[in-house]
Amino acid sequence: MSQGTVIVAPGLSSFLKSLKTTPVEPSVEHFISLLKRRQIRNSRPCAIATTALLLRVVGEFKGRDAAKLVKRIREVGRQLTSAQPREVVVGNIVRRVLGLVREVVDENIDGETNATSDPGHPAPAQHDSLHRPLLTSSISQYSPLKHAAAEPMDASFQSEATSDSGDISKRPPLLASHTSYAASAGTGLTQSLFGIFSQPETPSASNTPTGQQSPIGKGMLTSLNLERLTDFSKSNTNFDLKAEVMDGIRELQDELEQSDDLIAANALDHIHSNEIILTHTASTSVQKFLLAAARKRKFTVVHAETFPHDHTATHGILLTGKKRENSTVDEADWKPLIAAGIEVYVIPDSHVYAIMSRVNKVILATHTVLANGGLVAAAGAHMIAKAAKNHQVPVVVVSGVYKLSPVYPFDLDELIEYGDASSVVPYEDGDFVDKVDVEAPLFDYVPADLVDLYITNLGGHAPSFLYRIVADHYRPEDITL
Amino acid sequence: MDLRTPTTEKTSFPAFDIVSTYRTILASDPDLTMPVAAIEALVEAIANSTVNTVAETLDLLTYHTEILKSSIPNPISLSAGTDLFQRYLVTTLNRPASLNLGPEDDFRAIRNHLLSNGRLFVERAKASREKIASFGKHFIRDGATVLTNGGSRVVGALLRRAADSSTMRFKVIYVTSPEDCSDAQGGNKIVADLRAHNVPVATIPDSAVAYSLGKVDMVIVGAEGVVENGGIISRLGTYQMGLLAKSKGKPFYVVAESHKFVRLYPLSQFDLPIDQKVLDFKVAEDVKKPNAEKLTEDEGVADLNTFTTTHLRAADAVDFTPPDLISGIITESGVLTPSAVSEELIKIWF
Repeated sequence: MSQGTVIVAPGLSSFLKSLKTTPVEPSVEHFISLLKRRQIRNSRPCAIATTALLLRVVGEFKGRDAAKLVKRIREVGRQLTSAQPREVVVGNIVRRVLGLVREVVDENIDGETNATSDPGHPAPAQHDSLHRPLLTSSISQYSPLKHAAAEPMDASFQSEATSDSGDISKRPPLLASHTSYAASAGTGLTQSLFGIFSQPETPSASNTPTGQQSPIGKGMLTSLNLERLTDFSKSNTNFDLKAEVMDGIRELQDELEQSDDLIAANALDHIHSNEIILTHTASTSVQKFLLAAARKRKFTVVHAETFPHDHTATHGILLTGKKRENSTVDEADWKPLIAAGIEVYVIPDSHVYAIMSRVNKVILATHTVLANGGLVAAAGAHMIAKAAKNHQVPVVVVSGVYKLSPVYPFDLDELIEYGDASSVVPYEDGDFVDKVDVEAPLFDYVPADLVDLYITNLGGHAPSFLYRIVADHYRPEDITL
Repeated sequence: MDLRTPTTEKTSFPAFDIVSTYRTILASDPDLTMPVAAIEALVEAIANSTVNTVAETLDLLTYHTEILKSSIPNPISLSAGTDLFQRYLVTTLNRPASLNLGPEDDFRAIRNHLLSNGRLFVERAKASREKIASFGKHFIRDGATVLTNGGSRVVGALLRRAADSSTMRFKVIYVTSPEDCSDAQGGNKIVADLRAHNVPVATIPDSAVAYSLGKVDMVIVGAEGVVENGGIISRLGTYQMGLLAKSKGKPFYVVAESHKFVRLYPLSQFDLPIDQKVLDFKVAEDVKKPNAEKLTEDEGVADLNTFTTTHLRAADAVDFTPPDLISGIITESGVLTPSAVSEELIKIWF
């Protein structure tokens, strides 16, 4: 760590502070070391740090070559994800930013290809599934989600949003694509099912489908994409790639900041008077969600304390409304549920099944949501979801879209992190530790069929619908970093 | 329809013979799937015609499609291809503005494009298989045991791809088809191929699926058609594998190219638009009767029509696996949940 500032307690806030004064390379190194030492951990801090870092990376990028920018971001992304593969959110943010660059490029290139494309060719560029490949292409055009995101926020929450919330609709193409349905019908031709009919992009390669053949799993830019990106940077000089991408990243930061409030805006639809709500672990999203409901309604919360790794945080959030040292949230806004007049019962995890028959709804926080609708959440979540299933209690998961990952749970063991076993049995207890293996997994994988509903900052979705949100937010070519 | 061999068919039609073209195309390339062969045959039909208006082309297509569909006993998979092609033509021809061409010669241009790129479609279709393989190989983890069935070429490609990466060691349990089934050969080939790649393969009969399931980590099957609700139509026995896998909590993945998506909405096994005699109730007297009349019922086998046998026999029958049994459908456009299928289809048709 070579930055000039003195680090008092390394973590998110010290990193963000040092980012202002340190050049990019040492900052990347700094972030990597923080990730490795778990001094920045959990989804939200990781997401905030990653966006801030990428903003710097893009800001210091020299030149206007989009292909090089993509390569650069990818390079940083790869370093970060390999530093801490289990913080999936880091990879998500990197992919979002890559998608941003591509979107900016696509938007600016569209007008050009139409003007310059060879008139002898029957299938023009926007006709080609290679152009904006696969699922993403046409879906994102008329996705109702985009419009949902563009809608003005609930007035009561708008006041709380710390940032200028007008920003969210300032730049339409990203979060709030105002493409009308009529316009999208034209691009509706770009359909993956028609993939085999599409014209090859380069006229010379008449009989080899260049793009289609290149395996997507390779993780490199396809030659075609590179070609297009460089072509583009040559042909177009009068638009500011960097500025647009940076604007996009700032929008992403706004999204991170506001996602909890947007989620909480749904609370009154889901929590009714006199219900008994079961939740577990300490989560800002869930806390805000419940608080939003508590403003209008009286209900009861049963809180499973998530022993051993999260119970202090859980107790903290119940007592003061805050996790121990969360510097990113607005301090004034925080009060515990009990202060809002909500009756709260804390139970040990082992009581979950016993109490489930009286519970009306389970609300879970999550670490990561996966593309198939499953989720990785604090240990105990699987048991709670199973118990809920057994009692036919609906399970609602609240999560920002930034936690939604295009990753498939190919190997569950890779996703589950094991923590410090000394919180279960202290190391002083030598006899015990010698003779018995103690394990303390931090996370659980909850399969999709145990979840009834996801509430994200875009609204409520069934688990089977998540594939589409994934397709809306990530480009297929970026899925493997 | 009476029974004909491909050679007699060729001579019996002075005009363009779609059926024999289709069969020749299928026979010429063992890697070809039915929908793609059907598309190729239709392109050929357009090439051999003198149509030069949109309406004429569509009429011609409908006509040939009907002949083609009625000529084989199980047209589900085939109709995915013909429908897709027809729909593609309708959308492109009706929207000349979407092509960057002069207003008057768009039809000729699209026709030329189709004719000159007939081969390209096939290449693409085959390429999509490789693409699926590259998606799907991530599903197979080190030390996993995979249960599969049928002679699906996509599944074969996927497993081969996984086997090629040297770091992975996985085992395959292969549910063999009955000897008299048309894809038994394909299955044997896949098994031999995998064994040649040093993948340990165990072959079991249908009846041993439940028994072996305890040792299985995941089920991967191919499909003849993927229907609108996300279910699949596949070789008889796939449904029971799906049911068993579900009951044991094993993930059940389907690999299929997206040109196999077909507009059908079967609700049960008996809704399929084909006539298959799986349940053949008999009393003693029926058994004694000579089964001469059976010859006239069906003709052709489900897939490669190079055999001389011409029944859609019980061994070649298909069943319908409902979407709730399927964990994911691996296509060349990514891994879809069953509910994504209808969206893909809706995008094309509406």
